[in-house]
Amino acid sequence: MKLNDIFAYFNKLNFEIKTKFLIFIISGGMFSIVVLSLISTFSIKQDFDKLFEQRTTLFVKLENMKDAYKVNIQDTLIDVENNSITLEDSKEVINLAKQLIDSNWQEYKIATDSNNTPIIYLTDFIKKILEPDIPNKKNLILKSNVITNIDKKIILINKILSEINEKNIKKNFSNLYLEINAINIYITSLINYDLSLAINEKRETQKVFNIIIISSVISIILVFIFSIVLSIILINNFRYLHKMLEVKIKNKTKELKKLNNSLEKRVIQEVSNNRKKDIIMFQQAKLASLGEMLNNIAHQWRQPLSSIIMIIQGFQTKMSMGKLTNEYIENKVQDALLLANNMSNTLDDFKNFFSPDKAKSSFFLHDCAEHAVELSKYLLDKQKICLKLEIRCDIELNTYYNELSHVFLNIISNSKDALATTTIKHDKMIKIIISKYKNYAIIHFIDNGGGIDENIIEHIFEPYYTTKYKSAGTGIGLYMSKQIIEKHMSGFITCKNIYHKIDDIHNDKCSLFIIKIPIEG
Amino acid sequence: MESRNLNILLDANILYLEDDVDLSKHTTDILEDFVHKIYSVETIKDALEIIKTKKIDLIISDILLENENGIDFLRDLKTKNISIPAILTTAHTDTKYLLDAIQLKVENYIIKPINIKELLNTLHDVLLPIVQKKQIQKNINIIKTISAITDSKQVEVIKYIMHNLDKENILVTSYSDIIDKISISKPTLIKLFKELAEKNILVKTAYKTYKFNEMALDNI
Repeated sequence: MKLNDIFAYFNKLNFEIKTKFLIFIISGGMFSIVVLSLISTFSIKQDFDKLFEQRTTLFVKLENMKDAYKVNIQDTLIDVENNSITLEDSKEVINLAKQLIDSNWQEYKIATDSNNTPIIYLTDFIKKILEPDIPNKKNLILKSNVITNIDKKIILINKILSEINEKNIKKNFSNLYLEINAINIYITSLINYDLSLAINEKRETQKVFNIIIISSVISIILVFIFSIVLSIILINNFRYLHKMLEVKIKNKTKELKKLNNSLEKRVIQEVSNNRKKDIIMFQQAKLASLGEMLNNIAHQWRQPLSSIIMIIQGFQTKMSMGKLTNEYIENKVQDALLLANNMSNTLDDFKNFFSPDKAKSSFFLHDCAEHAVELSKYLLDKQKICLKLEIRCDIELNTYYNELSHVFLNIISNSKDALATTTIKHDKMIKIIISKYKNYAIIHFIDNGGGIDENIIEHIFEPYYTTKYKSAGTGIGLYMSKQIIEKHMSGFITCKNIYHKIDDIHNDKCSLFIIKIPIEG
Repeated sequence: MESRNLNILLDANILYLEDDVDLSKHTTDILEDFVHKIYSVETIKDALEIIKTKKIDLIISDILLENENGIDFLRDLKTKNISIPAILTTAHTDTKYLLDAIQLKVENYIIKPINIKELLNTLHDVLLPIVQKKQIQKNINIIKTISAITDSKQVEVIKYIMHNLDKENILVTSYSDIIDKISISKPTLIKLFKELAEKNILVKTAYKTYKFNEMALDNI
């Protein structure tokens, strides 16, 4: 259960944390293995060093003692017996041997005393665990016995050697040989003892070594297993994540596809809607200008209509007063007919303007311009705008009369709107200049309405772009004008802001529209 | 609409301010039959000139003139303390001028096209109080003149009688009341009452109660 809990907890962990954990485990395991192996190697080396130094050097010393007794003392004495050398000479050699033995013996004793100080803790620790009762201690009594025996023998030999003189050589020699052999036997037993100790130690070291090897192998295996388990968990996790992501992506892709499809449909729908709107807007624009024109007609009709009504009422009142004369009737009928005729003409003007006549016709440009000016006169008068038409040359065009006058009207109407909102001190003016350049008819429209805002000047020919409040403009006038000039007449229409002395006195900021229409033939 | 007695217009001098020459001409042709004199002008400047030199009873003005405004003209007159009743005509049915017109206490506001009967009736309505005022002044003058040349006591008694009539033209009084107020002899007073009773002007209906008979005055 607990393990499961841990796994569950681990699964819940963040992906990044999991990978970090894995890296930590693997590197930690590696590190611990390396450290462990290093420690064990060093400790084993230490053990072997100890074995070699402590035991073998001791053997050498004991062997030296044996050699000194056998070679230096016994052989010298044999030489003395055979009279090869004198006793005096032999004493010198024996003394030398005695010194050698003493020094070796002392060194050996010091070495065995300092033997027990542990240097490496790890191996001792393992050894203590393996064999709680150290066998060295049992045999220490035996060893000290041997050592004391050797001490006694050394003293005895020394005593015998010092007593040696020429008289008792024979007797002492046999005694001495006996003692030397005895001491040699003791030393040999000591050597054997040390040897067995060394063998024991070697065996222990072997054991320690085995344990270390086993434990490191186990730890390596543990780390390995742990890493593998972790990796498996992680890989499973990856797989799970991957699957989940795949499912998610599939779902998202489906949704996207759906969205795409619906979007496509919507785009198509919107495009068709837009086209419908376009058509409606065009119609609205036309209706708007129609409304403006109707307003114009209404005003132009109102005055003659008032007069005619007055004339008709005049007949009635004159009749009731008895003052209705032939002359009066004649005069008034003449007047009324004239007025009615004017009204009829006005109507014709507008009718022509809005006729759906699409045929090209030949006409003078200034006629068309004058017509447009005439049609917008009422609106300009209302805003107290002065319009100047400057015709520099007569140009005959063969194009769509109505469309062109429509464009003129549009631009004049635009200028009028700009001038209506301007706060200019002196006269508001629109100037139209008709001129010719190369094979183009050039028409300039200048008004001192303060020019066009630099931010919007690039957009004014775009459809539905309007700066007027909603009811006044549809935003389609200039767009339509551009379409007419560029598509129908293959001309150009541009606009810019200039500074111009429109009334020859004040240098005003003006907007300038330029229309270029190619003259055919 | 009841037909009005348009004869009162015959003495009126009218100033007509209208910039549409045709309309002005035709309207003037009709109006000149009904009024004493009509001055047609096209600009405010001309109109002011006429007002300075001639006696004008009424102004008819268009609101929208060539570069000018009839309202401004009337306001200008008001600041000059010239008070002549005015009628405005306009082709615009919107009410933005109406407020100005009301503030200037314009007499009437006529929408074009002008209905001539409506215009004449309006002229009558505007001029009637003026004419009536003149008439009353005239009568007062007559009475004052008569009283100056006849017995003043009798006139005072008549005045007393007139002042004390109630709403039903009934007079409640006695001779002694009158004698207390006016120092007149009783025989003269009785004679006067007798005379009035004979002519059926002041009839005794009860004790101390007399009825004043207005109708009887017409028969004299």
